[in-house]
Amino acid sequence: MTISPVRVSPKIKSSRDILTEPVGRVGKLRLEYAKRDSRTIIARSHCTTPWHLLPPIYLDDTGAAYTLLVNPSGGLVGGDRLSIDMKLGADAHVLISAPSANRVYRSQGAVSIQDIKITIGAGAVLEWLPEHTIPFAGSRFRQTIHAALGQGATCILWDAVASGRIARGERWAFASLENEIRITTAAGQSLVERYALDPATDLGSVGLAAQWDYVASLYVVNDAVAPEVWSRLEERIGLLLDERAERLLGGVSQPAAPGVAVKILARTAPDLTEAMDVLWAAVRAELWNLPPVAWRKY
Amino acid sequence: MKTRGLLEGLRFTDTFFPSGGYAFSSGLEAAVQGGAVKDSDQLARYVEDLLRGGMSRREALAVKLANRAGAAGILDPAIDVDRELDATKLGRESRLASRQMGRQVMKVATDQLRGKTVLTEYRDAVEAGKAPGHLAVSFGLTLGACEWNGEETAAAFLYQTAVGFVSAAMRLSPIGQREGQRVLGEWLPLIDRISREVGTETPMSSWSPIQDIYAMRHGRLEWRLFRS
Repeated sequence: MTISPVRVSPKIKSSRDILTEPVGRVGKLRLEYAKRDSRTIIARSHCTTPWHLLPPIYLDDTGAAYTLLVNPSGGLVGGDRLSIDMKLGADAHVLISAPSANRVYRSQGAVSIQDIKITIGAGAVLEWLPEHTIPFAGSRFRQTIHAALGQGATCILWDAVASGRIARGERWAFASLENEIRITTAAGQSLVERYALDPATDLGSVGLAAQWDYVASLYVVNDAVAPEVWSRLEERIGLLLDERAERLLGGVSQPAAPGVAVKILARTAPDLTEAMDVLWAAVRAELWNLPPVAWRKY
Repeated sequence: MKTRGLLEGLRFTDTFFPSGGYAFSSGLEAAVQGGAVKDSDQLARYVEDLLRGGMSRREALAVKLANRAGAAGILDPAIDVDRELDATKLGRESRLASRQMGRQVMKVATDQLRGKTVLTEYRDAVEAGKAPGHLAVSFGLTLGACEWNGEETAAAFLYQTAVGFVSAAMRLSPIGQREGQRVLGEWLPLIDRISREVGTETPMSSWSPIQDIYAMRHGRLEWRLFRS
């Protein structure tokens, strides 16, 4: 079945959220990866402040280009509009992380926007595992992540958000938080996660989830993987989540696009990070029989 | 609303309607076994949270859009919202339950409401694999064709969902009929508010991570009364 998107990015309608003047930075990061011999390289790149581009690192012998998303300013202020446009050529293999959490600072009115557009060529692999987002009290953040997959391409996508600056007692105190993740296969099968939180309103409240401090999703999609592999991976992840039931609330299932979807609630950052590491390791083992990668974040 | 249209629509909201909904708990069974819902107060909060965060801007919105399509007799917008709903339903059991119940609605609707071309076109699209056939869309289209308006249809859909939770809770936990009625009554103001306030101009969105996770966990329960 072909699935066509109905709508794209949510637009904040509340009068409290009016975008007044064009303020903030417009930072663009464009990256094109290509497979050259046994390695993936950055074939083309372009970036503007605040993005900073470091050359890729090779952490294992798969030839995967490990790239850190570096924003030396540490986060977004109101009015910032950051974008990432990433293209992976056929059979490229890219591993993405970030050196630190993505902070979204308090804003008087303008929204901080991060738009991420990813095209993954046929047979290419993207492992996207950035640090979590920390929406400060009074912040207004809107993020979109759209990934379009070619035939046989793999997308592993982790996205996590904290309740705020927890050590300062800031929990779920942002003004608004919108997040949209859309992953689409070559045949048009999609999975979509979209939420719009506006805690001051009735329908936009955080609700029972406010008992937790971290909310995360992990998506793995590939249209060429046999169904029994997804079933095995689902079972394996289910066991890992069961083993952590004292510390996490987590579930795994198979979405409308071929793959698995995992949702996790955690109370501490170490619990969240440990969960990400073990789940990611399980995905690599089940899909490719590859060991985990040892991060380098400096 | 004309009385004839009211009666036609009521059939689809009645618990007597053979949607198969009695077989599904939408993750409530996993929440009860997981200790998140132990009494009627916790049930009230759990479902209220789901109606508000998880279903208002998703299912209720889809119902309203489908209702408009059903009333206008124009199918394409309903198919678009049906596909989007399918993509946002990340848990397999919940997605398949919604599709199965939606197909049941369409079977009866196309059999009983003759002359409503939009319903037969939608049924054909579902049977041809061109539309997933989710309950919110089938229900919205059908009641729109019965001349219920969007607000009435969304309220009826959410009420039917709420009744389904009370019914499941009574089988899963020591909640009696009177308690069930009390809890149902507590949800009515919220259902009323959602039905009126949810706009169709905003994109579909959903925030109910706890309920989503329990719905995902349902398939791993050792013993189960329900299919979701």
